[in-house]
Amino acid sequence: MPAEPDTIAALSTPAGTAALAVVRICGPNTAALSAALAGGAPPPRRALRRDYHDREGRLIDDVLMTYFPAPRSYSGEDTLEISCHGSPYIVQTLLEDLHARGCRPALPGEFTQRAFLNGRIDLSQAEAVMDLIQARGERALHAAHQQLRGALSERMEGLIDRLLSLLAQIEAYIDFPDEDLPEEDKASVINHLSDLLADTSHLAATSRFGEMLRDGVKTVIAGEPNAGKSSLLNRLLGRERALVSPEPGTTRDFLEERIIVGAHCLRLIDTAGLNPAPAPLEELGMMRTRERLAEADLILVVIDGRRPEELWTDEIRILSRDPRSIIVLNKSDLSEFVDWDGATSSPTLAVSALTGAGMEALFQAVVARVDAYSLEIGADAVAVSARHAFALAAARAELECARANLQHGAAAELTASHLRGALSAFGEITGKVDNERMLDQLFAAFCIGK
Amino acid sequence: MGSSTLLLTGNIDTIAQMSCNPAIGGQAKGQMVREIDALGGEMAINTDVTGIQFRLLNESKGPAVQSPRAQCDKKAYQYRLKHTLELQPNLEIFQATVTGLLISQGRVRGCQTNLDLDFRAATVVVTTGTFLRGLMHIGQNKNEGGRLGDFAARTLSASFVAAGIELRRLKTGTPPRILGRSIDFTRMEEQKGDHQPTFFAFHDTRRDGELFHVEHTFERRLGWAPGCEQVSCWTTHTTGETAQIVRDNLHLSAMYSGEIEGVGPRYCPSIEDKFVRFADKPRHLLFLEPEGRATNEYYVNGLSTSLPFDVQVRLVRSIPGLEKAHLLRPAYAVEYDFAPPTQLFASLESKKVEGLFFAGQINGTSGYEEAACQGLVAGVNATNKVRGVPPLIIGRQEAYTGVLIDDLVTKGTNEPYRMFTSRAEHRLLLNHGSAELRLLGHAAKHGLLGADRLQRITEKRDRIQHWVSRLESERCPGITWGDAIRRHERAAIEHPDFARESLPVRQEVAYRIVYKGYLEREQRQVEKLAQMEHVRLPVDLDYLSLRGLRRESAVKLAAIRPLTLGQASRISGVNPADISILMVHAAAGRAGESR
Ligand SMILES: Cc1cc2nc3c(=O)[nH]c(=O)nc-3n(C[C@H](O)[C@H](O)[C@H](O)COP(=O)(O)OP(=O)(O)OC[C@H]3O[C@@H](n4cnc5c(N)ncnc54)[C@H](O)[C@@H]3O)c2cc1C
Ligand SMILES: Nc1nc2c(ncn2[C@@H]2O[C@H](COP(=O)(O)OP(=O)(O)OP(=O)(O)O)[C@@H](O)[C@H]2O)c(=O)[nH]1
Ligand SMILES: [Mg+2]
Repeated sequence: MPAEPDTIAALSTPAGTAALAVVRICGPNTAALSAALAGGAPPPRRALRRDYHDREGRLIDDVLMTYFPAPRSYSGEDTLEISCHGSPYIVQTLLEDLHARGCRPALPGEFTQRAFLNGRIDLSQAEAVMDLIQARGERALHAAHQQLRGALSERMEGLIDRLLSLLAQIEAYIDFPDEDLPEEDKASVINHLSDLLADTSHLAATSRFGEMLRDGVKTVIAGEPNAGKSSLLNRLLGRERALVSPEPGTTRDFLEERIIVGAHCLRLIDTAGLNPAPAPLEELGMMRTRERLAEADLILVVIDGRRPEELWTDEIRILSRDPRSIIVLNKSDLSEFVDWDGATSSPTLAVSALTGAGMEALFQAVVARVDAYSLEIGADAVAVSARHAFALAAARAELECARANLQHGAAAELTASHLRGALSAFGEITGKVDNERMLDQLFAAFCIGK
Repeated sequence: MGSSTLLLTGNIDTIAQMSCNPAIGGQAKGQMVREIDALGGEMAINTDVTGIQFRLLNESKGPAVQSPRAQCDKKAYQYRLKHTLELQPNLEIFQATVTGLLISQGRVRGCQTNLDLDFRAATVVVTTGTFLRGLMHIGQNKNEGGRLGDFAARTLSASFVAAGIELRRLKTGTPPRILGRSIDFTRMEEQKGDHQPTFFAFHDTRRDGELFHVEHTFERRLGWAPGCEQVSCWTTHTTGETAQIVRDNLHLSAMYSGEIEGVGPRYCPSIEDKFVRFADKPRHLLFLEPEGRATNEYYVNGLSTSLPFDVQVRLVRSIPGLEKAHLLRPAYAVEYDFAPPTQLFASLESKKVEGLFFAGQINGTSGYEEAACQGLVAGVNATNKVRGVPPLIIGRQEAYTGVLIDDLVTKGTNEPYRMFTSRAEHRLLLNHGSAELRLLGHAAKHGLLGADRLQRITEKRDRIQHWVSRLESERCPGITWGDAIRRHERAAIEHPDFARESLPVRQEVAYRIVYKGYLEREQRQVEKLAQMEHVRLPVDLDYLSLRGLRRESAVKLAAIRPLTLGQASRISGVNPADISILMVHAAAGRAGESR
């Protein structure tokens, strides 16, 4: 009896940054998943606007979901299409969440294959799509090769070699019990395994866009009290999130919100104003502001445009020279506003949080800055897709089991079973690793042969 | 199966002669011998009856990789099997050397022999071992032959080549044999057999009425039973002097002087290889294995070489306990033709010549067990072919036999292929005790076992399933017996009714309970792959004109012509996108047929 097909998920629009991206899910578990995501069974073939929250309840994006029950769907199986913003960050986070919810990454052409097998399209249609997939596959392959020539390939091959040598250590003692092998060194195997585990985790963590891009760019809005920081946050978000008042010291604690700007995700952090002569209660809030500033990727220094430079506090002056800073001269709508072409290398922009004037330029400045960051990180960090992250997580779980087995003295055949599980997970990224490679290592390391 | 069969052999006295080591079983091979028993083959029972030392290997590595191994009385093994064949209904045996094949219109029609007698047959199975243009090397000395003292099949190769079958060369080697009374065993360590032998045949379902040992055929000896008279093996090691002799004479070795073009196995290196490749290893372990009870000949396991004979004598005498050794037969290397097995379907039938099957060392394997299980499958399929029944194809998840044949026909081999447990991705499903249960379906379908034995296996399987579900549900008290066993709080044997079950049933039940999670995990993987294994691909699919397929994959697919999508996916270089495309075409083909 053939097993039930998996529920699969994949990006069905071209990868890369576009305004919109469509993620498609199909298979037996789609109906239940759709209901969970939409908060109730979705009506067929109607676009629903929803906030997409991941399993931990974090908001990922504001999306459109359309549910197509079988058989009237592209593949002929229950299908859910989610269109989200085209940011690679969002798509990846969304796919990762779907994987965590039990979907598996679709293979190339798998939707079309299912469509054909379910009688939704005929052979010539399938062939036409397959042509495209093959072409796209070639391109993906090309991209993969490019990637594989770079950092990812080196690191994956390194991990695979180390895993193979561990596996060979174990297999040698299983397959050649009567040979004159050196004393089996469990402790060293465990140590090597732990190192491998750490490096796998590390690759999984840094692999995507670097930590910064994964969690979003930490963007701290800072300035003197009443400069209009909370007003700027609200303007950037497009909604009244933070309390605004003419009283200085309105914001006592920081608050955080995510927005998408261009291809990037920003963690916007509004903070308590930096007062040179704080009241005891303000002091506490300012401490937290400084903590946030210390770990910021990007700082929006908000300055009340009516205050000339001579009146800035020392702290603001120092911030304005920080390489992470963009200087935002606020309240450009007021007549007392003085434009300042500051003697600093930080970009300086005049805006009005009240009217929205100058916001477009501010967005552009932010995007330009973050683009520059990604370039810097991109050279070193390896951009692996959600599919890769899925495989690395699987490998990690297997390696952990293998280590636990070794530590508890479980049968070697079970440890080997987990190591092989990890190897096949690595193989999802680099292409299948043939057992011959393990045997090569084994025969190179041990003198086998009575 | 009842088909009328002719066995042609160059020498009837060498039927089932072990060319090399007088041992059967060991890692992965032991499991295969049990599989052979489950499919009605003779190897297991022949080993049990002629074995003179039994050991269960790998007791500590886990039940799935435990394998039985036995030293056999070489001559007894050979003669008992010859005798068994003589008693076999529908089988004719005849001594003649096959010199060529009769082929017309792409189909085999029979063969020609050196006696100018032709034999016609609907199907032919070729099992020439190391005999095709066999060439033996001892230093610079060369002799034609498949094995020392044997002939070489000189002309048959040409007949294959003429039929379009590609041949290549491989090589293997064997150590010297030594006279026992010239050995000083006091300088060696004794290796005894297990107190309680582990047998290869499933005696619990076999009812061994016809059990016999050649030596006792006419004289039933009182108290004799398989495994009752065990002998010992002995271990010693090479010395610094041995290493020096090898290094000083390397240039004289056939393998190192470029005399040999064939490729040898990595796992069975000659002593030259060992000292060259592992130069920092000061000494190598050697085993002295008796060749039988009625002989004083010993096999020196670990000392395979192609050095000249005079060097061999010095080499042997540099070893503790062998200072005064008398060599009865020299070590030698042998080169022979093999037919790369990717030229075969999974049924072991040639893709080039219909009705022609290949099995054993000619397919690039090495080892008695590997040869035997191929012979069994090829024989069954040669009969199925005549009857127009679908072939016996064993899955990789069902048996090592399945792994072996799938590897051979899908990937081919560059060195003599030997089975290792690590070649099986579903190794935990292939424990030796379950061979009969795993292969029950095939044995029944192809009529390989008698009705009564099938019945007993079925009952055994049912009892095992009954006990597994009973122990998983019955409480003891509080938690289930299954959980208690997995937590080592209880042993299954403590269950009062279970203790009364037979040992094989108890062992298999315990295995399934203790490994429950792992077995389920492997089973799930198998089920996933099964989706692909069930999609059959037409043999005549024109890969080169399939739309969407990459050229590189199409060429590989066209060469291998896989029978299922699963097999296609195991061909190196065929990627998931190719598989999607094949799946679509396979389904389209099916739809076309049913229309
Ligand atoms: C020198 C040597 C060393 C080996 N070393 C090892 C080792 O270290 N480890 C290991 O696992 N295995 C080893 N083997 C391999 C093992 O012996 C074989 O794998 C196994 O016996 C192969 O079985 P087979 O049935 O294919 O062929 P074989 O056992 O070789 O039998 C072939 C039979 O075919 C007959 N025959 C051949 N040609 C013709 C013809 N034209 N007409 C009629 N009859 C013919 C022969 O008479 C012979 O009976 C070695 C073999 C040799 C010769
Ligand atoms: N005219 C004008 N008024 C503004 C602008 N931005 C903010 N304000 C006003 O300035 C006052 C302070 O604004 P907030 O946004 O609360 O300032 P803040 O920097 O968050 O102040 P604290 O949280 O107290 O540090 C409010 O009365 C706003 O309405 C602007 O662009 N133009
Ligand atoms: Mg505020």
